[in-house]
Amino acid sequence: MSNSPIDQMDVHSSDLEAAQHNVDAAGDGAGAEGINQSPEIAAQPGHRTEIMSMQQALNLALREILGSDPKALVLGEDVGVLGGVFRITDGLQNEFGAERVFDTPLAESGILGMSVGLAMAGLHPIPEVQFDGFSYPAVNQIVCQLARMNYRSRGTLPMPVTLRVPSFGGIRAPELHGESLESLFAHVPGLKVVSPSSPHEAYHLLKYAASRPDPVVFMEPKSRYWQKGEVVFDDGISGSNGGSRSHGGASASTAVSSGATVASANLGSKVVRTGKHLTLIAWGAMVSRCLQVAELAAEDGIDIEVLDLRWLKPIDAEGLAASVGKTRRAVVVHEGPLTAGLGAEVAALATEHCFGSLKAPVERVTGFDVPYPSGDLEDEYIPNIDRILFGIQRVLEYRRG
Amino acid sequence: MAEISFPLPDLGEGLIEATVLEWLVAPGDQVERNQPMVEVETTKSAVELPSPQAGKVVRIHGEPGGTIAVGEPLIVFEVPDNTAGIVGTVPAEEAPRRRVRLSALPEDD
Repeated sequence: MSNSPIDQMDVHSSDLEAAQHNVDAAGDGAGAEGINQSPEIAAQPGHRTEIMSMQQALNLALREILGSDPKALVLGEDVGVLGGVFRITDGLQNEFGAERVFDTPLAESGILGMSVGLAMAGLHPIPEVQFDGFSYPAVNQIVCQLARMNYRSRGTLPMPVTLRVPSFGGIRAPELHGESLESLFAHVPGLKVVSPSSPHEAYHLLKYAASRPDPVVFMEPKSRYWQKGEVVFDDGISGSNGGSRSHGGASASTAVSSGATVASANLGSKVVRTGKHLTLIAWGAMVSRCLQVAELAAEDGIDIEVLDLRWLKPIDAEGLAASVGKTRRAVVVHEGPLTAGLGAEVAALATEHCFGSLKAPVERVTGFDVPYPSGDLEDEYIPNIDRILFGIQRVLEYRRG
Repeated sequence: MAEISFPLPDLGEGLIEATVLEWLVAPGDQVERNQPMVEVETTKSAVELPSPQAGKVVRIHGEPGGTIAVGEPLIVFEVPDNTAGIVGTVPAEEAPRRRVRLSALPEDD
């Protein structure tokens, strides 16, 4: 591969990067720096930390985005007066007014169509589609307008839109409230797709996504909204993803180098647990489940690495290759159906980069090729601890020939 | 804390009302999801309604023998503010449980 996926996305948006985001573009262009392999989010002296839920982290990020970017707008069903059905936009309308945080009719095609128009007018809309499955009525606007307007207009109409979508299952909700649409969105040229796995990632990735000149689909794992975790702030470098990327010494002294730090901390995948026998690759809510599985596998003497993929488009192929190349075994876990799911793309990339050293085919542990079930059946549908352990076992047992 | 009202659902096909026979919960009770909540009688049968969710009962509507129309409030729950929005429930944080044990040991690592 001559270009990494990250480089290719940069080509797509290079005009605007150059024009409006000199600081961040410097970081994007660094390519390989987009791979963050520092596993620890350690509180270091000088880094403020706070324990909060993903709800609170997202709310804080939106508040800071609206506060610092006068062009930012929040729109969607019930995001204004009610503050969002998941409380993510709580209090924002009071603070920033009903012209910048406003309720829309129950029409997702309208929410996304309006966002495209607002972006064409130079604004930075942050629309919310209330639940994953409600994206379907807006697919025309997302695919035919949002994703390709920059391309269609030869870069004169970029789409700095951050589409927030509460995603995935796990909360016993009815039909169309537990869909995993990452492979659908990732398949559309022009869209970037990202999913945070923790409050820390949610805060930093949302702020970073909202600073992008390209449309980003921000998939919030709704089953993880309420769990609390440590968010590491770095007040010196707004929007940087924790202190783990500090290289010490002479960095972060100029605007360009701090911009590079922000980009490199927020791009690519992240090793959230190091191990030597096998890599579990996951995103969104499955990251915490894979971390649980890794702890259980350690009881059996199996040392598992967990890679939080974070960006689902572009996928950090280098970070993936670095981890799988080291452990030589990989299992990818996601909630969406197996067939043509994003796990297939991950498996193909891992195989392409690590074919010579892999000790077994990349295993996929996923949802099933059925409509997402409601109620108690979702425990059978979403990869559970035992199904992931079985997947690991199959890889460990595999012998060539 | 927030209040969530649960209206009487259509218990058959096109039934318009039901008569309360007996309340199995009272205001102040903490109920679990699927816990039997009230016995009602329709023109087709007497049925026990399970609670649609967990929560504390704030109010119940309809004395035994009284009639409630489909769509009218049946019971009101008090729920924590972190209840999962308009639908769904907040997943419980549970200790991980397993049945599968890994047996194969990597040979050459």
